[in-house]
Amino acid sequence: MAFTTSTRMVNPRLGAYFGIFMSAFIALALVTLILEGLGTEAKTLRYGMLFVPLVLYAAIGIGSYTLDSLDFFAAGRRVPAFFNGLAIAIAAFGATGFVTLTGVFFIIGFDALCLAIGALAGFVVMAIMLAPFLRKFGAFTIPSYLGRRFDSRILRMISAILLSVPMVMVIAAELKLAAMAAVILSGAPEKQMILLLATAMLLSLVAGGMRSLTWTTVAQGLAALIAIVVPVAIVATMVTSMPLPQLTHGPVLRAIGRNEAIQGLPIILPPSLAFDIPGDGLQPMLKRFADAFGAVGPVAFVLSTLTMLAGIASAPWLLPRLAAAPGVYEARKSLGWATLLFGVAMLTSASIAVFMRDFIMDLVAVPGPAIVPSWLSDLVLRGFATITEKGTQFQATSFSFHRDSVLYSLPVAAQLPQMLLNLTVAGAVAAGLAAASASAVALGNVLAEDVVLGATWEPPQGATRSHAARGGLFVAIALGASVAAWVETDSLRLVLSALALTGSALFAVLVLSIWWKRINAYGAIAGLISGFSVAGLATTAGPGAWNPLDPALAGAFGIPVSALAAVAVALITPAPGRHLLELVRDIRVPGGEILYDREMRMQRLKKQRQRG
Amino acid sequence: MIERKERKPYWRHTKWQMLASLVPFLSVIIVLPLYADRLNSNKFLGFPLGYFLAAHGLVLIAVITVASFVSQQDAIDHWHGAHEDN
Repeated sequence: MAFTTSTRMVNPRLGAYFGIFMSAFIALALVTLILEGLGTEAKTLRYGMLFVPLVLYAAIGIGSYTLDSLDFFAAGRRVPAFFNGLAIAIAAFGATGFVTLTGVFFIIGFDALCLAIGALAGFVVMAIMLAPFLRKFGAFTIPSYLGRRFDSRILRMISAILLSVPMVMVIAAELKLAAMAAVILSGAPEKQMILLLATAMLLSLVAGGMRSLTWTTVAQGLAALIAIVVPVAIVATMVTSMPLPQLTHGPVLRAIGRNEAIQGLPIILPPSLAFDIPGDGLQPMLKRFADAFGAVGPVAFVLSTLTMLAGIASAPWLLPRLAAAPGVYEARKSLGWATLLFGVAMLTSASIAVFMRDFIMDLVAVPGPAIVPSWLSDLVLRGFATITEKGTQFQATSFSFHRDSVLYSLPVAAQLPQMLLNLTVAGAVAAGLAAASASAVALGNVLAEDVVLGATWEPPQGATRSHAARGGLFVAIALGASVAAWVETDSLRLVLSALALTGSALFAVLVLSIWWKRINAYGAIAGLISGFSVAGLATTAGPGAWNPLDPALAGAFGIPVSALAAVAVALITPAPGRHLLELVRDIRVPGGEILYDREMRMQRLKKQRQRG
Repeated sequence: MIERKERKPYWRHTKWQMLASLVPFLSVIIVLPLYADRLNSNKFLGFPLGYFLAAHGLVLIAVITVASFVSQQDAIDHWHGAHEDN
């Protein structure tokens, strides 16, 4: 059909629309800056910075209202590569990246790279090994893909239930970080903010499912990138007279290194399996920034890179985004954009940490009695940091920082206008919402498509199907919000465990389902269950006699066990039939009909033939 | 649409491309950070070299890997007639 070419379906005004959104967001920031100068009450401005963006996101989401199931579940399969890449990068980076990764960089320096590099490599592996094929298949959720690929309803049900666990964890972690940021703006209790943000999420997603998700996430991603990059670019201009913090923090880093050496910050040689990622709470700078392996041992560094890689590459909340690409080529290209944007975001995080350390190290380098500058007392007043010991002179260890406040400390330390702190916080809210939304929509679709309607291959026609997914979305957000509100955990730990679980359960099975023709449904079930349970055991039991590894490294056990189980069980059970072999051959070729659509049509024909 | 007898050579070609893209990339990702400390005594753009390569260098390598993979795999698709119709 000539009229269904991918390029023609793409909305040509997307760039203009998001130009308008970005202008609105920047205008909001500038208006609050002007009002701040005119002496408007700070509280009003902070409320504006919290609520106006939420209203904008909700408006975009509601404007993407749809009843068509292709629009609802795959954004009409016409999201251009750049927008798809931005959405996938921001959903993976999220508030965990902007808020906690910055803090982790600040506290343990170089060693934080293991998390960032792992995620980055995850995109590369996803682009090469999984994305083109999953796009060719075109299923709306990962359990649907597995179920159809292996023609097994049991596999579909099992994977839906197992994969719900990490998705709830991701929603909870991101929502919690976003709520902590919102608390800074509103001053209200955290639980109220969780409720507010969950409601905002529901409002902006319920109207159009994946379609709403795509466009709100693009808006949130742009907002987050502006909000996080602008303050640090201003600081970089002040310190290095170049507004490119990612490339110019080198000399600053060397100055820090000299001060660290004068201060005698220890060069730590940790055991090779140490994985000392800072948790929630106040902590001093533990090690020299540029030195490798002070908190994370070399072996643990490699293992966590690989665990992150597997988790991101097979994340069931990121992969459905590929179904929204207009074609296989565009799906590959969107991951190129995702890799680039993720890389920029991670380098920005690192540069924020470096500039923040520079401010502290400058204090330490001044000889003579300790004088607390006004910005430092401001930080202490806001609860971002404490001064642990007041001697005659500041030491590098005299200050402790909240891991999740380092990002917000930079505009305060640079004595920038209040607006830039508000902007940074709004960026963190946006990033958290983007990541939580991606996971919520994916989980909602899984709950509706694969659990509630999972008993049959024939989804209900018309609006019933998307209404079911709306119900699923509500349940997903409610689950995530209750975990965020009532379970006391560290968000970073939650995300790392979720990635370890996902990678262990799913990575080997997904890769084998494309690259190894012999795998059958039994093998896939065995791989899923064994990987998930090994990683689950390692996570819940914690480091002990049989397990020297940190829970976040559970993938080191989980992935090999899952791969071995899948291969072994597949080999001792009957080989897959002709229909499935033909299906794999078709998955491997980019051209031709989208397989999910073909399978669904064949199911309908089969039903009709049975009836009459 | 791809011809039936082209499928095997197409897949062989694709497999080699996958290995050619992933093996060098993964080995760099795993090995480079292990030598970061030793490289740190050198400077580049004012950065300690080990840190620069492990942060900026790996981002650059990742982006180049994906970009070259996308263009090469697309060429493979067209060569075997396996590309999409539009």
